[in-house]
Amino acid sequence: MQRFFFNKRLIIVLVVLIISFVLIAFSITVRNNKETPPLVQQVGNDASGIVDRVVAYPVNGIKGALGSFSDLMNTYSENQRLKGQVDGLAAEKVTNQNLEKENKKLKEQLKLNKTLTDYETISASVLTRSPSAWQNQVVISKGSLAGIKKNAAVMSKKGLVGRVTEVNKTNSKVELLSTTNDSANRFATQVMTKDDKVVNGLITGYNENSNYLVMGQITVKTGMEKGDKVITSGLGGNSPKGLYVGTVAKVEEDDYGLASKVYVKPAADFTDLDVVTVAKRVD
Amino acid sequence: MRISRMRYFFPLGLFIALFLDGALSQVFAGAMFTPTLAIESRLVLLWIVMAVCFGKIDHIILWTVFAGLVFDLYYTGIIGAFVVIMPLIVYLTKLMYRFFTPSFIVVLLIYLIDITVATVVFYWINLLIGFTNVSMAGFIGLSLGSTLAYNLAVFVLLYFPLQRFFESFSR
Repeated sequence: MQRFFFNKRLIIVLVVLIISFVLIAFSITVRNNKETPPLVQQVGNDASGIVDRVVAYPVNGIKGALGSFSDLMNTYSENQRLKGQVDGLAAEKVTNQNLEKENKKLKEQLKLNKTLTDYETISASVLTRSPSAWQNQVVISKGSLAGIKKNAAVMSKKGLVGRVTEVNKTNSKVELLSTTNDSANRFATQVMTKDDKVVNGLITGYNENSNYLVMGQITVKTGMEKGDKVITSGLGGNSPKGLYVGTVAKVEEDDYGLASKVYVKPAADFTDLDVVTVAKRVD
Repeated sequence: MRISRMRYFFPLGLFIALFLDGALSQVFAGAMFTPTLAIESRLVLLWIVMAVCFGKIDHIILWTVFAGLVFDLYYTGIIGAFVVIMPLIVYLTKLMYRFFTPSFIVVLLIYLIDITVATVVFYWINLLIGFTNVSMAGFIGLSLGSTLAYNLAVFVLLYFPLQRFFESFSR
């Protein structure tokens, strides 16, 4: 009798483990597939999203109240600082408008309707973050109904933060650039050097200790300096051109001395996201 | 026969705890996910452990499997991790609780063991599928230590309210 029970328990454990492994393997394989998640999963996620909005509401309310209080404390010094900047801003705005108009005209003359720099923006608020040390993921409040597509680039107010990995009807998951996931989709980026040259590459990883993005697959080595701006290059078809990523922090030879690795200081803070913008390519 | 009100309160609290974990991680992300520490909020496990120790709940395994499924679908997109971990925690807690008389210290130790098991298994799964490449030593320093400390603090704060809640509604 004892032996019978032992065997039964063992079989249950084995079956559960096998089912679990199969499910994990299945999720990993279909993760980057265009059709995922299936409708059933989408419905589940949408329902979770609705409940989450209700539960998170008071927490966000408290955070908002605390935030406004600290904002109020800083108002005076901030006001002094901003006054200086505002004066310059008006002139810059006019120049910008002129350039935009000129750009549009030139494009018309060239019969160039859509370029890599054209994109539509969709704003969404961040609902929640995975309570997990290994998934650097947030859930945002817009989904396929608002026009969000899988693999679209996501920006915070300051710069690029990640890409959309899963789209449901009313919410979607965003994988942040700070993930160390091996299978994460990479952004094609370029460094704009001081002497107007462009160095193309890919964001290949993230260094947790220094909080730098690692840019590899560099085309040429020369000319990059600390402080040069890094933007997305629009190559690869997922992100538009010209989204601000960060600045070059240091340039290093890679492990074999063949190509160089560029460490990029990200402009965005991956742990302080309230509202994000999804950049949708129009071409 | 009167139907226990716990039938409604347990699942309700389970899902509130589940979504509060995410909300807290989002609001305090600046403090919880830094280069030197990564805290995983596990209020949902606290709810489950207190329910196993002090409540009388029907179909607890089924509810935890369901909550685990929602966790996997909504937070990670990798189905199969918490679906197994959550019922495993219920089983482990029941197994250990049988040998002791309930007290603050006993439940605290059981909870710490549960958190350790859940965190280690979750790390191991993520290591296996290539979502992290942190070494075991790195994991202990980065995630396990801080996760235990945080969840211990939450346990101390919520033990007595939750104990009273489960005992009064489970009669």
